[in-house]
Parts: sequence; C-alpha cells; structure tokens
Amino acid sequence: MLRSWIHRSPWVVALILLVAISGVVEAQQYGGTLRVATEGDPVHLDLMIVTASNASTIGQHVFDTLFVLDENSAPIPLLLESYERSEDGTYVSFTLRQGVLFHNGEELDAGDVIASLRRWLEYGVRGQVMAPHVVDILASATDKYKFSIVFSAPFAPMENLFAWNNGGPCIYLQEVAEVAGAEPIAEADYIGTGPYKFAEWVPGQYLRLVRFDDYQSPRGASTGYGGQRNAFIDELLFIPVPEAATRVAGVRAGDYDYAIRLPQDLYPDLQANLAINTHLLTPPSFMQIFRNTKKGLMVNDKLFQAIRMALDFEPILQSTYGTLYELNGALFPPGSIWYSDAGTELYNRADPEAAMALAREAGYNGETIRYVVSTTYHEHYNTGTVVADQLTRAGFNIDLQLYDWATVVQYRANPDLWDLFSSGHGPVPDPTLITCLNPNYPGWWDTARKTALVDEFTTTTGFDERYAVWEDLQALLYEEGSMIKTGDGYILNISSAERVGGIDVEHQPALLFPYFWNAWMK
Amino acid sequence: MAGYLARRFLAMLPTIVIVLIVSFFLVRFIPGDPAAVMLGPDASVDQIEQLREAMGLKQAIHVQFLRYIGRVLQGDLGHSILFHRPVAELLVLRAEPTAILAFLSVVVALCIGIPAGVLAAVKRNTFLDQALLVLALAGISVPAFLLGLLIMLVFAVQLHWLPSSGFRSILSSGNIWNIRYLLLPSVTLGFGQAALIARLTRSSMLEVLQEDYVNAARARGVVERGVVLKHALRNASIPIVTVVGFTFAGLLAGAVVTETVFAVGGVGRLVVEAVLARDYPTIQGIMLVVACMYLILNLLTDATYALLDPRIQYS
Repeated sequence: MLRSWIHRSPWVVALILLVAISGVVEAQQYGGTLRVATEGDPVHLDLMIVTASNASTIGQHVFDTLFVLDENSAPIPLLLESYERSEDGTYVSFTLRQGVLFHNGEELDAGDVIASLRRWLEYGVRGQVMAPHVVDILASATDKYKFSIVFSAPFAPMENLFAWNNGGPCIYLQEVAEVAGAEPIAEADYIGTGPYKFAEWVPGQYLRLVRFDDYQSPRGASTGYGGQRNAFIDELLFIPVPEAATRVAGVRAGDYDYAIRLPQDLYPDLQANLAINTHLLTPPSFMQIFRNTKKGLMVNDKLFQAIRMALDFEPILQSTYGTLYELNGALFPPGSIWYSDAGTELYNRADPEAAMALAREAGYNGETIRYVVSTTYHEHYNTGTVVADQLTRAGFNIDLQLYDWATVVQYRANPDLWDLFSSGHGPVPDPTLITCLNPNYPGWWDTARKTALVDEFTTTTGFDERYAVWEDLQALLYEEGSMIKTGDGYILNISSAERVGGIDVEHQPALLFPYFWNAWMK
Repeated sequence: MAGYLARRFLAMLPTIVIVLIVSFFLVRFIPGDPAAVMLGPDASVDQIEQLREAMGLKQAIHVQFLRYIGRVLQGDLGHSILFHRPVAELLVLRAEPTAILAFLSVVVALCIGIPAGVLAAVKRNTFLDQALLVLALAGISVPAFLLGLLIMLVFAVQLHWLPSSGFRSILSSGNIWNIRYLLLPSVTLGFGQAALIARLTRSSMLEVLQEDYVNAARARGVVERGVVLKHALRNASIPIVTVVGFTFAGLLAGAVVTETVFAVGGVGRLVVEAVLARDYPTIQGIMLVVACMYLILNLLTDATYALLDPRIQYS
C-alpha cells in the first residue's frame, strides 16, 4: 500500500524528504556580520610584539603563521607545504605552499617569511626564546618558496614557537617586516594572508574585518586552528564593551552574537539559557604567585616553601574562577602531552600550622612581606586578596599592595620593591614558553641546575626524551623555583545559539583565542 | 560686555599654561610604563626598554617637555601611544558621542527636573511635594551603573525597543537614527541630574515665591500660571543655570561610568583607557582641552546671567 502511494505521489514524497533533511542538516551559508563583544580595544594588531589575548583573537584572522596547533595542541603546517630537519637537527629546510596571496594581491614567498622571522627574532616577545639558538636564516638561490634556518644546536621547540601567534612569528609583507622595529607597525600595514582582511578601526566603536575572497585555505578536515578554513561570514565586527554584564545583556538583546571573557560565576545561569551557547576555552589558564629570588625575604627557599604550604587553593580558585576550575599543580592540564605530576606532592598542602613552623625554622620573625597585586584584572585581584588573607591568618605579616597593571609591571621589574607578586598565565604549546623559565622574567629564577635542564630540554629532540627532562624541570620548580601555581581556570565566552552556527562545541573545540572561520550566521 | 569678554579670554591664558605644565609632569609622576602596557604581560624587561627607547621615552624630561610645548604651540597635541593616531583626531572622534550624550542628558534633566521642582514648590507640603522629593532623593542615591543596567534590561533585553549598548557615529555615517544608541545612556545620566535640578529648582522657587514682587503680581491680577512661570521661575533660574553650566561641562569631560556600562566610546572612557595605559600624549591633550572647555563654559555661564537678570551688567 505504501509502495503504491509512493508511486502515485513521488513529488510529495520528495518534498517530505527535502523538508526532513533540511531540518537535520544545518545549512552553512555565506553572508552576514558577526558582532563580537570584547573587553576592550586591542592595543594594536602587530602580533609579534603583543601578548594581550584580544590582539591574538582578532589578529589571527588577518595574519598567518608557518604552523598552527591542531585539536590536540600539536603543531601542523599552515603556510608550509613541507619541512625537513637534517640528521644532526641543526639545519631545517622549509617549503612554502604556492599560490598563497597577501591581502594586497602579492604572492607569499620566502622573502616575506625571512624578513618576518628576522624582525620577530629581534623584537618579538617570544622571539627572544629562539633568537640565541639561531645562526642564520637563508633564502634558496633557486626557489622562491624555499628557505632554511641554521641553528647552533637542535632546537626542539621550533614548531611550537612557530605555531603560537601570541607574540609569535606572524608573516608580514617583506617590505613591512624589513623596516619594522620595536614600535608597532601601522594600520596600513595590517596586510596578511589570513581568511579575513583588515578593513577599518574606529577606537572605542569597532574594529572591522572583511572576508578575503582570494584566501587560499589549507586542505584537510578542520582540526583545532588547522585544516580547512571557510570564511562564511562576510564581516567580523569586534566591539569594545568593557562591562561584562553589558556583554551578556547585549547577546541576550540581539546586539551582539558572541561575547568574550565573562565572570565565571555567571556560568550556571548562562548554561541554562537555551538561547545561549557557553564556551569554556581550553586549555585552561592559571594564576601564579611569584617570589623575588634576587633580593629580600623570599631569597630564602624554605620560607617560600612555607608560603606554598600555607595556601588552600580551592577557595582561591573559587574566588577567581567560580565553579570553572580544577585543582591541578602541574603546569599543563591532564590530557596535555606535557602533563606530569612530578613535584606536585607539594601542591595544595593547606597546612598553615606546619607552614608557620617551617617559616620559623627558616628564620622568619614576622617581617613584612610585600605582596604586589593588580586591580586591573579581576583574576589577579581576587587571587591576591584571598591569598593575602590566608597567609595573614597563618601568621605571616603581609603588606598587600594594590596597583593598576601598568604600575605592577613597573614595580615588579625592580627587585627592591617587592617580595611576592601575582600574575596570570595562559596556556602555551611548549614548556619553553612558561614565563618563569625565562631568567629575565621577574622572579629571576636563574640557578645552575635550572639553566642546565632548560638547555637540555631545548636541545633534546624526540618527545619521550624531552618529556623526561620536562618532568625533572617541573620537579625542580617545586623544589627551588620562583613560582607557585594556584590551579587551572577556564575562560568563559558565550554565543547566540539562535544566530550563529559552527561554533558550538560539537563543531569547533573551544580554544583560547576563539576564531570565526568555519562559523556562519543562521 | 565685549570688553569684559575680551578681558576674561586673556585671563584664561595663565590658567592654560599652568594646566600644560601640571598635566605634563603630573602624569609622569605616576608609576607605570606605556611600553610595558603595550607589549603585554609576558614581555621581558629588555624588550620593554627597547620599546621605550623607540618611543622616545628615554629622552631627558626637559627635552620631552620642550618638544611637547613646541608642538602644542603649533596646534599639535601629539600622537597617542595607545591608539597610534593623532590625539586631536582621537578627541574629535570621541567627542561626538560625549557631546551628544551630554546634550541629551541635560535636556532630559531639564525636562524632568524643572517641572518637577516647580510643581513641588507650588504644591509645597502636599503629598505631591513629598513624593517628588522622595523621587529626587532616589535619583541622587541610585548609582548610575545600577540604573543603567536596570533600564538596559527592561528596554533592550526584555522589550527590544532600543540597543543595549555601543555607538555608531552619526556624523560619519550620516544616519541620524544612530542617536538611538544614546537614548538609554542619556536617560541614565539625565535622571540623576534631574533629581539634583528638581531639588535646586524647588528651593530656589520657594525663596522667590516669598518675594514682594510676586505678591504684587498676584495683586495686579496676573494668573497664577503667569506668576509662577514668567515672574518667579525666571528669577529662580540663576542658580539653576550655574548648576546646569557646570554639569554640562562635567558631562563634556565624559561620564565614565555611563560610558562604560553602555560601551559608548566617549571622552570619559578615553581618559580611563589612556590613564591605565599611561598614554601620556592623550592624557595631556584631554586635560588641556577639558580645562579650556571649563573656562569657556564658565564664561558663557556668567554671560547668561546678564541675559536673565538685567540688573547684572558687565563692563
């Protein structure tokens, strides 16, 4: 009977099937404007010399890097066709993808990459990690798409550093990179190879990117930042909205489609709202408490151990991240290839009596401990006030000094002015990018044992071997290092479920710098 | 009058010079570094010093000051460290929403405050008078950020009548309907100001309504409406004009809290952003412009007295 009905009315059946399918498959469609509410304007989009996350979030749509991170935070080529290391690991040759265009129509070649890498190595925030190991960067005499880097010794973190656009080696036009110095490049030079091009910036109102129609996407399934990139949306509008409650209200009111960095205590209510998708950016970030190893009370290792012993990290994390935290003393989260529990038996002891006993054993007699904390960022402030309170209750004499971020940055550079200070740390793809491993970073952890391990870690190739060294390094951090980690915390973003497709969790793993290629307006 | 105005203009010059000097040195006494803010939290000390050198911040202070004065005398307020464009251009860009917001807020404040104050004075010691006083107290007491978020929730999120936040330029787009972005912030700001004006109007009107000339007007048969609006209000308006003048000047300097809540990129937020980033040229430029604005508005306020009260004459 059904068969005869189908025979008699095939068009009706076809129509029914079409309606059914369209309801099941969400249509990706071109067009529209995505309005993203950010915390504020970026300082600029010269990504080589800025580490503010909003600059990376916006700028990654404009500028590409040689590698990117996939969904497992492993580096995969983006602008490269291939690369190869010599047997001794000191010579790496690269071949670029052909036909990649800059937004002004010029084709990418090795000249652009070499100039960009040279500028990054000299002035880039993360370039200083690689610069001491680079002997030279050479262009091929016969092929404009090939170049090579000569290292003084095998440099294992190369791919990870090249994949990290935050203070990283984004690729600019050769003529821009060659004249760029320590100051940011001009807006007129925001010419990259990304799926979107810079259109307009009205500070205080919006920053506008428009689709680059001649974008040459890498191939393959989308994975993390890598794989196929489709710029479905015509225009991305990044709108500075400093007040978090206003960002949320704006998404609910239909004025914004995506909102960045919201107070974590809003998570339960936002998650329950069917019109809103919540995004917990992974990997997580963490807060740090640094000690001054150059001068003052905290030169005493045992006293610093006592400080760590006194702290109960759970209320600290709750005040900072609401319910979006995990107690984790390792510098990388579980699930990361770098995760290790080495040294973490000293994490979260939460024993103020034992801590005070250890402090007295270290010779502490109630001297004032100057603890510098920023009021500019709520994570810093919330962490600092709870830590100060816990330490005071434990019996330490804490002088909590609250300043805006610009003042904290200046004070922490002067070892005469502080004993402890707090700062945040975002996730990084390679342990070499952990700031406390830099001997010049305030805290100034610079012992012979640490230097030797860092050198060994940097020059060891092969993941298993590197991992073993990393475990030793993390254990050493707990033994003599300059930093206490509080735990992992998740950044909360939201989007409109009704208006935006392609950025719910199923389609795109939430990453620290949310991106909007492969997203579409419904 | 013309001579008086000319003398007042000349008298502004020493004030402006003092503002120039104080603004230059004051901001440099604040700890903090624009290069460090620009590079972000992970930059090393060496990188910060490198950028400071490139930005000219390592020059001797007197050299920096003389260069600054030289530029100002040529009408150049300098280049914003934070936004990488001329400070003057930045101020013009940010002045549009601030000026419109200030104007609309004052209109809201006057439209609510003056009638409320007059009514309260005329209906003195009645239920209406007490109700208006309570409302005025609420208006003064409720913080602007709370009021702003509440009316945003009602009119934008629930009713979708107006945008929740943000601003789009009317001048550059030519779209007058972009004024809708400033309606909620104007009501937020204006409500608090209205409360102040209402109370001031009431007390000023009460004083004037006691005067003999008011009784004389009534005795001559002038209708009560005419007595209140034509005779009493005009004489009661001098202190109101003073307050409105200073309020308007203050709003032109930027209403930071309201601009932040409603994401209006005006002068108020620019000041905060510049201070947090230690954007010296922008801070100096704003202080100079705001000081000049206060001086001019003060002068205009004084001139308005002469219009309102013929007994006041300047020579």
